[in-house]
Amino acid sequence: MPEPATEQGDRVASLWSGMFIAALVVGAIVWGLIAWALIRYRHRGGEAAVPHQRASNLPIEIAYTAVPILIVIVLFGFTMATDREVKELDAHPDLTVEVVGYQWGWSFRYPAQDLEMVGDPTTGDGPEMVLPIGATTRLDLVSTDVIHSFWVPRFLSKRDLIPGRTNEMDVTPNRAGTYTGRCAEYCGLDHWRMNFRVRVVPQEEFDRWVAAEQDRQS
Amino acid sequence: MSTAAPPVRAPGLLGWITSTDHKVVGMSYMVTAFGFFMLGGALAGIMRAQLYSPGSRLVDEETYNQLFTMHGSIMMYLFIVPFAFGFANYIVPLQIGAREMAFPRLNALGYWLYLFGGLTMVSGFLTRNGAASFGWTGYAPLSDELRTPAIGGDLWLLAIVLTGLASVMTAVNIVATVLSMRAPGMSMFRMPIFTWNMLVTSVLVLIAFPMLTVASVMLLSDRQLGTRIFDPSGGGEPLLWQHLFWFFGHPEVYIAALPFFGVITEVLAAFSGRPIFGYKGLVAATFAIAALSVGVWAHHMFATGAVEVGFFSGLSFLIAVPTGLKFFNWIGTLWLGSIRFQTPMLFAVGFLLLFLIGGLTGVLLASPPVDYQMHDSYFVVAHMHYVLFGGSAFALFAGVYYWFPKFTGRLLSEGWGKLHFWMMFVGFNITFLVQHLLGASGMPRRVATYRAIDGFTTLNRVSSIGAALLAASTIPFLWNVWRSLRRGPVAGDNPWDAHTLEWATTSPPPPDDFDELPPIRSNRPVWDLNHPEHPELHR
Repeated sequence: MPEPATEQGDRVASLWSGMFIAALVVGAIVWGLIAWALIRYRHRGGEAAVPHQRASNLPIEIAYTAVPILIVIVLFGFTMATDREVKELDAHPDLTVEVVGYQWGWSFRYPAQDLEMVGDPTTGDGPEMVLPIGATTRLDLVSTDVIHSFWVPRFLSKRDLIPGRTNEMDVTPNRAGTYTGRCAEYCGLDHWRMNFRVRVVPQEEFDRWVAAEQDRQS
Repeated sequence: MSTAAPPVRAPGLLGWITSTDHKVVGMSYMVTAFGFFMLGGALAGIMRAQLYSPGSRLVDEETYNQLFTMHGSIMMYLFIVPFAFGFANYIVPLQIGAREMAFPRLNALGYWLYLFGGLTMVSGFLTRNGAASFGWTGYAPLSDELRTPAIGGDLWLLAIVLTGLASVMTAVNIVATVLSMRAPGMSMFRMPIFTWNMLVTSVLVLIAFPMLTVASVMLLSDRQLGTRIFDPSGGGEPLLWQHLFWFFGHPEVYIAALPFFGVITEVLAAFSGRPIFGYKGLVAATFAIAALSVGVWAHHMFATGAVEVGFFSGLSFLIAVPTGLKFFNWIGTLWLGSIRFQTPMLFAVGFLLLFLIGGLTGVLLASPPVDYQMHDSYFVVAHMHYVLFGGSAFALFAGVYYWFPKFTGRLLSEGWGKLHFWMMFVGFNITFLVQHLLGASGMPRRVATYRAIDGFTTLNRVSSIGAALLAASTIPFLWNVWRSLRRGPVAGDNPWDAHTLEWATTSPPPPDDFDELPPIRSNRPVWDLNHPEHPELHR
């Protein structure tokens, strides 16, 4: 997992590291048992005696059914707690951006600021979304044609854009920087070109950027 | 139904076309499916060559999109499950002491529908605008006639209908055969695990495949008859396609896995000289997997934001329990054994090590917050290949090396077999292990190329080099089959000291399968015959 750049991403990252360690421990134990059995019980040449024919052991069978159930219950508990946190929608977001996906590009509309960011058709570069650090931004995700998916890998999340419905997600960036975004849902010929950028800046810089863009676009 | 006299066979090509012998049909499935496997692999080879360098123009976007669509479609619809049907057709009647499948003609019809359905699908490449290009999942509304107008898409849908019908026919046949054609003494709980798993797989086929067939007809209707079932601009619902597709698609993953879990169970027991540990628990686990597998489909849809994630996540976590239970059954079978590392066993061990990785990444993906990041990325590509290639395909080769002497009367060469295994094992891991990292760092799946500034170049190079080794591993296998058919050592009835009934007859079996059956008093009648002083113990 890359280093997260949002508060929601931080929560995903800590869930991920816990689950990844759990998977690694379980994997190491099972691999260890397999490796031990293969080495310890390998055929050692000559006419060895017929191996022991014991075919069941009820206490062990109950244990290896019950322990995994407990493990997945714990993982499921952490999962649902994190899911609630990262999907929580703020009743009063600081900023709303409407994300429009189409074959094969993006546009980012700031309705309150009366701005629209589009890509550069001559260079093929996608548009840039500028977000203030520490503020909760509501993303309204809509598609005008087929299904796309809004994915900024450093946000540790993605959400589909589905024609006929509006998906919502909140992001609260907490690390300044410029991050690459991509379309994750295969959407036809030029799917791979559907890139964009997200630039996270301090609030004052965001305000200056809004003013400059308003001048440029009017 | 079984007949007293073996059926008279016409010679040569006519004999093959008109045959209803389960062994001939089974072999036809396996040879055909392997042909599709090599075609699907060749398509993947072109993709890996394209991804070797950023911005590569080896093939254009349209061609690349056809390549990954047809690679996935061929492997899922035309290779892995049909190959399992090949094993089942050949082996299940032998394992239960039947002399035929319940419906031999239906069986042959199923094979021919599969063959011509498969040819219909790949014939898209011969049309002017090429093959289907909307992914093996055919998501609406991208797959409608406006966004993907090429006739290749319609051929793809027709092929899904034809091969789906073939699968249903085969599944009906396997269920009827297992339930009604078992030899005297072969009670349900004396059946080999491979037969059990084929029974459960067939029930899943009967639940899942009609859903795919229906969905395909609906999409074909949108494309050809002007309906708007999946088109939001006409009041349709694109997510309906995803629900219908994955209601098929997730049981499908287990349809593509359970037969091979059965193969592995047989191989591990035979090559450790041990009874299957926890036989009844293993059967129960298979039923639990099947039952849960029809309730997890929307874990493919977490990122849509339109499903109840708690339900589907919970059941997806839970399905790891019976799958994990099988691992402990397999370890328990090895434990106390006298393990011989011939080629079938090497592939079985490869399966254990690799499938575990696929299973564990599957548990991670069952968690929606993790899935929001990993979904539709190369992490999922890696996960799915560890399950279906590291898992099912390694087990498939274990089965081929295990049963080849039964099919042909000759043993495959151990030397070439070991070379095949090591090339495939190393090549597979180089190819797919790094794809976990690519996905986590942000590479989406199904991209025709990527930019140098994305930073994906090094790992893609590693993956492509591994893919070359993986592809080359097929050469020693084909050579091994070619030379062993002519000069391989004669196998005899039971070269592995294996336990189940197919090893009681000659290699290859006579047209009516058995000259005589040994007494059946446990789940391993051939072991009982050869080692009467060592029955299985329960303390």
